Amino acid sequence: MILQQCANGIFLGAVYALFAIGYTLVFGVLDILNLAHAAIFMAAAFIALWLAGTGVTLPLAILAAIAFAGLLGVLLDRVAFAPLRRRNAGTLVPLISSIGAAIIIQGVFRGLFGPDERAFPAGALAARQFHLGTLTVGALDLVILATALGLMLGLSYVLRSTALGRNIRAVADDRVAAALLGIDLERTIALTFFIASALGGAAGILIGLQYNSVSTDMGGRIELKGLAIIVLGGMGSVTGAVIGAFILGLVETLAVAWVGSSYRDAIAFGVMFVLLVVRPSGLLGKRALRAA
Amino acid sequence: MRVQTQFLVAAACASLLGSSAAGALLGSSAALAAGGPAAGKTVKIGVIADVTGGAGAYGTSQKNAYDLAAEDLAAGRIDAGGAKIVFDVEDSATDPAQVVNLTQKFSGDGTALLIGPTLSSEAKKADPVAVRAGLTILATSNTAQGITSLGPCVFRDSLAEEQVVPEAVAKVVARWKVKTAAIIYGDDDQFTKSDFDIFKAALDARHVTIVDVETFHKKDVDFKSQLTKIGDKKPDLLVLGALQEEGVKIVAQAKQLGLNVHAIGGNGLNSPKFIELAGPAATGVVVGAAYYSGNAYAGNREFVARYKRKFGTPPDQFAAQAYAAAQIAARAVKEGATTSEQFCSAFKRLPLVQTVLGPVAFAPSRDVRAASAILQVQSGAFAFFK
Repeated sequence: MILQQCANGIFLGAVYALFAIGYTLVFGVLDILNLAHAAIFMAAAFIALWLAGTGVTLPLAILAAIAFAGLLGVLLDRVAFAPLRRRNAGTLVPLISSIGAAIIIQGVFRGLFGPDERAFPAGALAARQFHLGTLTVGALDLVILATALGLMLGLSYVLRSTALGRNIRAVADDRVAAALLGIDLERTIALTFFIASALGGAAGILIGLQYNSVSTDMGGRIELKGLAIIVLGGMGSVTGAVIGAFILGLVETLAVAWVGSSYRDAIAFGVMFVLLVVRPSGLLGKRALRAA
Repeated sequence: MRVQTQFLVAAACASLLGSSAAGALLGSSAALAAGGPAAGKTVKIGVIADVTGGAGAYGTSQKNAYDLAAEDLAAGRIDAGGAKIVFDVEDSATDPAQVVNLTQKFSGDGTALLIGPTLSSEAKKADPVAVRAGLTILATSNTAQGITSLGPCVFRDSLAEEQVVPEAVAKVVARWKVKTAAIIYGDDDQFTKSDFDIFKAALDARHVTIVDVETFHKKDVDFKSQLTKIGDKKPDLLVLGALQEEGVKIVAQAKQLGLNVHAIGGNGLNSPKFIELAGPAATGVVVGAAYYSGNAYAGNREFVARYKRKFGTPPDQFAAQAYAAAQIAARAVKEGATTSEQFCSAFKRLPLVQTVLGPVAFAPSRDVRAASAILQVQSGAFAFFK
């Protein structure tokens, strides 16, 4: 049983990691918490669902929805963040405007799709199970795990070894200096939003598939945990967020196995609290991203 | 079983009463066909429903039902004795403060009957406001204990879980020879928490050993660790104290983990949505419910067909209970009720009313007397559990 529980925890961690990667990227670059990330996460899932419902093949629907999420992120930046950035509004005001944007996006999607929970069309899911001894593993679990790890590695590579990554890191480090060096600030920020939101969108779609449920409040379920994970990982650290996600997933699962389901969240957040007391800057603080 | 017997006795008594009342009314029944004592009058019924927000799925069903009922009243399919009934449906957006505001609005604007609100927790806050204003209330989806004791004119047409669950458990235990059971329930919701208490009592009464109890929180999506633990105990029966949203994921993940076990849930799972979203994983799940859309009660088939045509989905229990409330209210209006006081006394006197829920009447406790439906998901639809 404990083997199965560890597998459960790792797969749950992969789900959290998917959400947290994009969430922490925007924070790392702009020092703002984009609370509309969960709304984009939801929006992409609905777009994929809608496209799949109109007869588009699932892989195509997913890719289109991911692109939509990226563009929605760019739009979000233009409308909710860029005007504030121009006026040097600090970090609290963008936080509030991102909450506003989240409410608007949610409202629009509730208007379009209704408050009901939706499911992907039958047959859209990889419902296949693998049995390894006593262990049961779903195909979609493996896809999500591979995607989370792949995205983490891919994003680390982009940040470390490409011109875009250098620009992003430069902007994250010191916006004014980066602009003086000739980096197109707005373009770099827009691309950061595109990447972060596309990742958030991919997370929404995969999680919607995994639990076969898409609803306008699906982002709210994961938002707080996502926030806890990126704080634990070290705000802005992509690798830290992934490690934090696996820690949360495992702690939650083992808390149920060993203590009891009623105390799951209390134990999970208690462990996080202790880790943060020991390392207030998170597992891999902000420096780790810049060094990466 | 006991509920069933009580109901039958009540039905027999009511029909006896009904026939004597009919005798007394016989002289005027010819006039009733042309128009009752309230003929020509307009009766305003206020409805508070959570059309949006967390409980939006339930409130939307309710709103749909009143839209349909208004149509059917206008077309004469529901008989209000020649009176005009107007439904003022307001959205309380799953916000208790909004529920109280709307209750205050309806308390002073000529509303003769208040139907709603959607959730028991909302009713506990808002009903006292209406009671103070002397408004008669008909609840259609408040299943928590103590709702009707909030005031002398608070009624409900929804069967409570404690009326349905013991019968469902008895049937399942006998049919599947259940010796052991595991329960998983939401411990942060009034409804699912009381589901746990009611199921536990019913299982204890049948001498079923409860081998494991697991909990979850509202909006959780991952239940694998709880289900892995339950699977380890190998129970004969899995009991779900869950609403549809979580119930769907629990049965799906139980299947994913290879947990092949009989399952039973309460009213929270009695929705076509449950089957639609859970797909094949829902097959075999037994649900103790207050409504079955396939029931042959008078008018139910037409109701289901017209609802489906108008809104594109079959009606769930929330829609049926709301539509039944409209039928009950129309019956009271037909007998002359146009004010809150008259609704209160008419409801207390009502003989069996034929509704889409079947024949219903109010007990002295103002709770409904109606038959429950023990259902099982079979090849993608609910059917009677035999």
